[in-house]
Amino acid sequence: MMVERYTRNLGLPGWTPETQRRLAAARVLVVGAGGLGSAVLPYLVAAGVGRTGIVEDDTVEITNLQRQVLYNTPDVGTPKAEAAARHLAALNPEVTVTPHHTRLAPENAAAILAAYDLVVDCTDNLATRQLINRTCLELSKPWIHAAVSEYYGHITTLRPAGPCWHCLFGPETAAEPPPSGILGPVAGLIGCLQAVEALKYLTGTGRLLVGKLLVWDALRPGWEEFSYRKNPDCAVCGNRNIPVPPAAD
Amino acid sequence: MQVELKVFATLRKYLPDHPLDQSVTVTVEPHTTVSQLLEKTGVPLDKVKIIMVNNRHADLDQRLVEGDRVAAFPPVAGG
Ligand SMILES: [Zn+2]
Repeated sequence: MMVERYTRNLGLPGWTPETQRRLAAARVLVVGAGGLGSAVLPYLVAAGVGRTGIVEDDTVEITNLQRQVLYNTPDVGTPKAEAAARHLAALNPEVTVTPHHTRLAPENAAAILAAYDLVVDCTDNLATRQLINRTCLELSKPWIHAAVSEYYGHITTLRPAGPCWHCLFGPETAAEPPPSGILGPVAGLIGCLQAVEALKYLTGTGRLLVGKLLVWDALRPGWEEFSYRKNPDCAVCGNRNIPVPPAAD
Repeated sequence: MQVELKVFATLRKYLPDHPLDQSVTVTVEPHTTVSQLLEKTGVPLDKVKIIMVNNRHADLDQRLVEGDRVAAFPPVAGG
């Protein structure tokens, strides 16, 4: 490990060479490489996370480039997982980036997630989040949820002990149409918070957003924090016999 | 009694006079529930995913008391 690259990590209070080695041994799966993923991925890779997986089945489209700053115009038409892995390898060739050019589905979720220590949710739909929640509970993995729409974003961190995502968001409702607009840096900012939360978890630094929903509405001044608890009647974490949900499509 | 209501993201279109930097003050009957508050103000219940009262997770059946601060969120799925 080239120490010079991580000089500004190692200069942080409480950050030792052992902290950096923990990061080098860490395995993080980022599900979705869109607006949130475009912020999360470079920061995890730059910080020295040893193995980063990317699950994404889309290809780069011209309409993505307004906010998905991980991609360049010549990437249009290329699978996102592949383009992202190429750019990230140039950013930090000392770490491993594994593209999974597929959609996370009930058939593959457990097999993919099993190889990672932490999951970062950068998806664009609620069904995949239900699947991440159930699979992470089954495999006892922590995950970091975020979602954005228009000028709004929120983030919370889920641990296997609960509360779980379903405790807060409840049963799946009718599929919402994707937002017709997202201000690019709103996705970037919430994604950056996910990267901060991931690095805190992996290095054991600070307090996590467990049981807290941090909300940012860019049109309003300031952040707001809301709290939630484990629901003893939760249909997902209140029952260890977790049924496999239907396909995400 | 009076309670405060704040709606987020796409719910804001149902409260066009909602000022950006504060809540809407609504006068309701004592013991009004969250769902009655939303019905009174014209926020469709089927568009609401999460309710918070005084920054804590709550549900639509919760009865409100004077000064409660209610926040309503739609499903948000973008990434
Ligand atoms: Zn739960």
